[in-house]
Amino acid sequence: MRASSRRKPLVALLQPYLLIAPTLVLVLMFNVVPAIRTVNDSLHKPARGLNAAGKPPEFVGTQNFRDLFDHGHYMGSRFLRAFRNTIVFALATVTVGVPLGLLLALLFNHKQPLLGVWRFAVFYPSLLPLIGAASIWSFIFSDSIGLANAVLRSLGHPGLNWLGDRNLVLLSVIVVNIWKQAGYFMIFFLAGLQNIPRDLYEAASLDGAGEMQQFAALTLPLLRRTLLFVIVIAFIFAFQTVEQLQALGEGGPNDSANLLLYLIFQNISERRSWGYVNAMTIVLIGVVLTFTISNFLLFERDEND
Amino acid sequence: MNFRRTAYMMLALFVLIAGAGYAQDDIVIDFYFPSATANDAEGIFQRYADTFQERNEGITINPVFTGNYTDTRNTILTELQGGGAGPDVAVMLTIDLYSFAEEGYIIPLQGFIDAMDDGGAYINDFFPALLANGIDEEGNIWAIPFQRSTPILYYNADLLAEAGYDSPPTNNAELVEIAQALTTDDRDGLLVPVAGGFPIWMFQSFAIAYGQNIVSEDPTEVHFNTPEAVAAVEFVRSLGTDLGVGPAGGAAWGDTPVAFLAGQAAMIYHTTGNLSRILNGADFEVGVWYLPSGPAGEDGTGYGSPTGGGNLYVFDDGSKSEAELDAIWKWVMFLSSAEIQADWGATTGYIAANASAWETEPLASRALEYPQYGVARDQLQFARKEFSSYATITIQGIINKTLESILTGEAEDAQAALEAAQAQIDGILAEYK
Repeated sequence: MRASSRRKPLVALLQPYLLIAPTLVLVLMFNVVPAIRTVNDSLHKPARGLNAAGKPPEFVGTQNFRDLFDHGHYMGSRFLRAFRNTIVFALATVTVGVPLGLLLALLFNHKQPLLGVWRFAVFYPSLLPLIGAASIWSFIFSDSIGLANAVLRSLGHPGLNWLGDRNLVLLSVIVVNIWKQAGYFMIFFLAGLQNIPRDLYEAASLDGAGEMQQFAALTLPLLRRTLLFVIVIAFIFAFQTVEQLQALGEGGPNDSANLLLYLIFQNISERRSWGYVNAMTIVLIGVVLTFTISNFLLFERDEND
Repeated sequence: MNFRRTAYMMLALFVLIAGAGYAQDDIVIDFYFPSATANDAEGIFQRYADTFQERNEGITINPVFTGNYTDTRNTILTELQGGGAGPDVAVMLTIDLYSFAEEGYIIPLQGFIDAMDDGGAYINDFFPALLANGIDEEGNIWAIPFQRSTPILYYNADLLAEAGYDSPPTNNAELVEIAQALTTDDRDGLLVPVAGGFPIWMFQSFAIAYGQNIVSEDPTEVHFNTPEAVAAVEFVRSLGTDLGVGPAGGAAWGDTPVAFLAGQAAMIYHTTGNLSRILNGADFEVGVWYLPSGPAGEDGTGYGSPTGGGNLYVFDDGSKSEAELDAIWKWVMFLSSAEIQADWGATTGYIAANASAWETEPLASRALEYPQYGVARDQLQFARKEFSSYATITIQGIINKTLESILTGEAEDAQAALEAAQAQIDGILAEYK
């Protein structure tokens, strides 16, 4: 009796670990180990010169990070530009894309003719494969044969070099990103709006609250959790941007529209750059974490009021 | 009981995975190839593999399509750096030579050539310009030309004739004159595709035609700050500014042939890889000529062009047997034979790499029917090595970014920008001296 009661807990103890083992192995192999290696490799300079494959990397401390933040360094000048662009890109897509999604949700939350058609039209871009959508836009933005310039020229404007003008490329990529995501965000806001009880609005109208007051005092506070969620995924999407750039000018002339993840991708195939690539990855992860955590802190604090 | 069942299932899974590696008597050659155009490369290579296997008992060719050139390089590097087997033979960019030689993944082919009865004749049959990127500074051959292209000038012969020009420009003064005569409100006189991330290839045509290529035979030497390079980049920039024959900052790669076919560009610089597509798609007479990128020399012409495209490389870390290497070399010889090169050139429009292929069917009659194919071949006499050095990717990146900053007007002083880039490049290459 005693023996069996001792054996049973052992099996019970092992069984859950065995059951999660397959997942655990995959997470270790593809998440944890690479993450540790990334930190390690970011502190090393790979062997350079002839027969580099057989030579061990050299420990350089924070040298890779210092090179990245050095304007005069060949990798630093590219990194700093991509870093600035990434912040601009993230802030622009979030501050325009998220309110636009909310506005669309408010517009299409009321019963109206052809409601399904409108909602579908706005949601449709997020169903398209990203690289396909970006390729369509690359035709729209084409200098000589593009739709955007055809419209401008019919209005008497000489046309803009959307993907060739260093001051315009980042804007073009931002426009595509907002177009692609606003409808997706709308779906979350619509779901959030449907969850707000209608009688709250009835009570507010009886108390004499106008539309704007209702929005500020009722809709926005009650949508807070949805808003937090949408802002967080919008930031994460923004930092993950790669495919659009592949189709829309490959980072623009002299990296004028290049973003961090794409710059990492562009430099990954040469061994001598691995230290920089890993250091850039660490910086990127740091930025994403900072944005995500500060968003949570900001909204959670309000929650406790 | 549940967990015992899970354990059995996992065991079964491992057995299945382990069983996938099976014994094979034949010598199997893994052949990786990219495709940069809309050709049915997979179908064509399967056909070549079948023909080869019929003639060579005991050798099996396993052709693997690996995406575009960049994907192919990354696929192979990832496999080898991760300890995988990688390919036995692959088509990669000619400029990938030092990236792979540096790592010790590929082997020189000079030994195979020296061991041949008629090795000299085999090599001399290739156009010298196409061999240049596969030879190291000591004269050893590392790569065999295969999927080759160059940029050429395409012109709308109907438009030139209307404006009174019977023949294409032969130097850059004539190029500008004709381009300006043909520029209208809704048509560009000349599009040079230097926008979109890869201006170095087109720029090289101008640098070569101005008299100084940016690379030499020594992979530790780059000449990016020469007076010729400054004059060349300033000329390309002026096409979109002072001269006004094309968009400021240059045209995008993919748009250029489309605009040409739509009649919105009178002349374009583009790759021979698009020759078949442009000849088939145009509803006007398409003329093709050497790139007139430089000032007139003594004979009145100013031609210059880099080569481009891919070479065949052989991979060995020292573990391959004599029999395997023999089989690999047989496959390389087969792909570079006049028979296959003639078929390849006629099917895809890439330049057949050896002279004898142009006297072999079906290419011989294709070149007679469309003399434009011969222009690309004949331009090879003015063609020079494509940019390639140690740390190719990093240095090519520096050159591309510098050219873009000059062409888009971000850096006004071209001389200063090229000097700054040269200093960065020399700093990197010093590690290889």
